[in-house]
Amino acid sequence: MVKVTYVAHDGESTTIDAEEGASVMKTAVSNDVDGIVGECGGSMMCATCHCYVDEAWADKVGTRSDDEDDMLEGATSEVTERSRLSCQIKLTPELDGLVVHLPEDQI
Amino acid sequence: MALAPMDESITLDQLTTDPYPIYRRLRAESPVTRVAAARRTFLTKAHLTKAVKDDPVLFSSDDPNTPMKPAFRAHTLMRKDGAEHMAERKAIMPALSPKRIQSDWGPLYERLADEYISRLPRGETVDLFQELCGPLAARILAHILGIPEATDEQMQRWSQRLIDGAGNFGWKPEPFAASEEANDEMDALFDSLQDKRRAEADGSAFSVMLNAENPIPMSQVYANIKIAIGGGINEPRDALATALFGLLDNPDQLAEVRAQDAWGKAFEEAIRWVAPIQASSRLVTEDTELGGCDIPKGDTVMTIQASACRDEDLFENGEEFFVFRDKNPHQAFGNGPHHCAGAHVARRTVGKIILPMLFDRFPDMRMTDRDAVVWRGFGFRGPINMPVVLN
Repeated sequence: MVKVTYVAHDGESTTIDAEEGASVMKTAVSNDVDGIVGECGGSMMCATCHCYVDEAWADKVGTRSDDEDDMLEGATSEVTERSRLSCQIKLTPELDGLVVHLPEDQI
Repeated sequence: MALAPMDESITLDQLTTDPYPIYRRLRAESPVTRVAAARRTFLTKAHLTKAVKDDPVLFSSDDPNTPMKPAFRAHTLMRKDGAEHMAERKAIMPALSPKRIQSDWGPLYERLADEYISRLPRGETVDLFQELCGPLAARILAHILGIPEATDEQMQRWSQRLIDGAGNFGWKPEPFAASEEANDEMDALFDSLQDKRRAEADGSAFSVMLNAENPIPMSQVYANIKIAIGGGINEPRDALATALFGLLDNPDQLAEVRAQDAWGKAFEEAIRWVAPIQASSRLVTEDTELGGCDIPKGDTVMTIQASACRDEDLFENGEEFFVFRDKNPHQAFGNGPHHCAGAHVARRTVGKIILPMLFDRFPDMRMTDRDAVVWRGFGFRGPINMPVVLN
């Protein structure tokens, strides 16, 4: 199990024991975490799983791919250097304790 | 395991007139059913439709023998998978992104909506389906695509002919003759506008695709615009008409939507309640299993998102229009790689602009006779008339 914490736009935080290998998006959707929609199911086609990786985790999570960058153009809320599509972040043991912040809107 | 049960009683006519009681029965009794009349295996539960669409390798969109090919004069991205699909889709996406729509195009859409709503007559019965839903959807789309020179009538006629041709599974000559004629007109228009859209980059789909660093082939630029014409008028038109029906038929909810400014929620509920695109096909590439039934390679499964959107596992009283659901995980825009590329556009134009403007302009709008509203369609569905009095 890998722990991941979602901090909603209003500050409320939810911590989930996630399955190793699952994405941050899938984990949120299957655990009913509000604030991540993931409408396209993780195929990088919709930008409704936008999240901001907590500063402390930025290096471990790594950078976004070109395709992800293109799709983030389509995100509804502001895109910053911390922005990622959460469907593209796989939960490995190194990410145990990961914290992501959620945008105000996804659609 | 055994093959899915075969149902020989369901007719295409029943599915076109009112499929919902049938889907309700299938969800309860037999969520995986081979429907003889449609020659497809129907999947009516949400977890099944989602699983299929999320797995494009096992359930492919690729169909080299689709009637879409002659109807669109091209093999379009709708019937492709993987990298090929991705490349063509990415080429048009910049024109459909929320930012482009909100900041660059928002004022134009508001002006167009205002123009079309302002010309509606007050105090008499008017069919909003004919007078507003169709024409306004056509006008907005023409601008998004970079072909505002096309008239509302042309856009709607082309769209219908492309759809009729794409659904011509009987390969009858007439629908293809009609789509050929539409293709002639579209190709001629695109040819004549090409230089201008290339020279004057304006953020429209045509211009974006022509001016891309590595443009996709011209045949696919045209194909993408045609796909958007075929798939971008009926849906916002039907979503708008359905939302109007739902709100006018439920005045308490309308009052609450007004009070909370919850037009976006009303839009989402409308497309959940009656999904404008009700069903999609996928080709099975390997022997597999779904819902306890064997699904052989070569079979065509049909994801019935109309039914998934009313699945009892996800929605309480799913047969009813109820805007203020706690959650609304509908599949009206589909999911997986072919998730509706126009979702952002529809949400912003219909949900954020047109609905509030219409109810603001005509606060006492009422439906003249709810039973006079006729609903039609198996693949695409919505009201085909919407008689109201505007005041």
